[in-house]
Amino acid sequence: MKLASVLAVLLVLSVASLAADGPRVQFDTSHIGPRQMEDVTGRNIPRDWGRAWQTLAIAYAQNRPDLLSRYFTGFAQQKLTAGIAAQEKSGVRTRYIDHGHKLAAYFYSPDGGAIELHDTADLEIQVLDGNNLVHSERVTLRYIGLMTPAADHWEVRLLESVPSF
Amino acid sequence: MRRFLPAACLTVCLMAALALAAQELQLPPTVSAGSGFAIATSGSGSATFYLIGPSYTGRREVQLGQEIRVRPQEVRSAGRYLAILRSGGASQSGSFYVVAAKPASLSFLAHPSRIPVGQRGSVIGVAFVFDNWHNLLRRPEDVEFRLATKNAPAAAQSVRTRDGAAWILMNSGSKAGNAQFVAALDGIEQTRVIQQVASDPCHLQIRAERSPRGILVQTAPVRDCSGNPVSDGTVVTFTANGPAGLSTVDVPVKKDIAQVELNIPGPATISVASGVVMGNEVKVGGQP
Repeated sequence: MKLASVLAVLLVLSVASLAADGPRVQFDTSHIGPRQMEDVTGRNIPRDWGRAWQTLAIAYAQNRPDLLSRYFTGFAQQKLTAGIAAQEKSGVRTRYIDHGHKLAAYFYSPDGGAIELHDTADLEIQVLDGNNLVHSERVTLRYIGLMTPAADHWEVRLLESVPSF
Repeated sequence: MRRFLPAACLTVCLMAALALAAQELQLPPTVSAGSGFAIATSGSGSATFYLIGPSYTGRREVQLGQEIRVRPQEVRSAGRYLAILRSGGASQSGSFYVVAAKPASLSFLAHPSRIPVGQRGSVIGVAFVFDNWHNLLRRPEDVEFRLATKNAPAAAQSVRTRDGAAWILMNSGSKAGNAQFVAALDGIEQTRVIQQVASDPCHLQIRAERSPRGILVQTAPVRDCSGNPVSDGTVVTFTANGPAGLSTVDVPVKKDIAQVELNIPGPATISVASGVVMGNEVKVGGQP
């Protein structure tokens, strides 16, 4: 009974942590066009980008594709879901330790329906075969992202790492 | 013998590890999505090969000194891939990028779905170019946007993509009706229907005549400045200025015209307006 209570508290804390604490995201809108970004959107985009990355890291660490649907949609969700299924099948897991993002918006569609972003991510990537660490690296990776609005937040519709911007 | 076997195993493992440590993973910097390729290895003995990409994670045993074939289905998603070759506790790793293959589909967002005719820069089109595996094509491609209404010349313009996206603002046409808004690239087309409706009324004309119960006022067919009949429900305001003062009545257009019977026995001056557009004035005498 005591153990169940402790587990329940831990679960609540973990969910609260997922909702509140994303990785650090610096956001630059100085080169955006053709539409200018509204203040509220300018606050929500880095918040939701950070939460999406946090969700991605947890989903990969725990083989939980079901977590993705809150912040990912479309092709991004399909590909990440396939990635988690493949790692579960192979027994090889990828762990992401997120050290922050420099996010820049450069295309905001005139109707406000899509935002294209450049993200420079500082990541530590660990590859585990079972419980054995087979590879670890700290890398700066560049990502192109596409976000679209949902009811009360923005979702990542596309996430691709690229060699350069 | 018991002491010899572990020593022999240790030696073999050590040799394999040394052989692995001495080799480099020969990886191409970029690979087109869905294209297989080979990774050369050197040395001898067995090793474990890991390949980790955006939507693929694989692990298999390989023989050092033989090529490792990376199959097309393993590299379909664009992004960074990590390749690791591991043997006897030693490993070599490297990364490469898979980039989008040739264009295969367009994601086309059109806005709005309904618009008055003759609006400048008000039809928005945004197209994203993808390959066969939903990877964004970052290299510049020319997307043609066309907006066409039946019995009217189409407007077309080509826009070069930047990081996979092309966008345009087009004028709505002058003819009311369903317009085909098309984004096209290399034989790939996506069509959205934009309903173009008549704009605000233009050149309002009324006629008025005595009727047994007052004055019957009727508009000529109400059209916008391009000659399109305005939508049913468009409100037309009739104002009568008579001996009893000013009276106003709003009437919706029905089947191109708006009409009303005003209960005014005496003479009156009747005018018409809709929105900011004024029409003519008509004077009607009193009942005999």
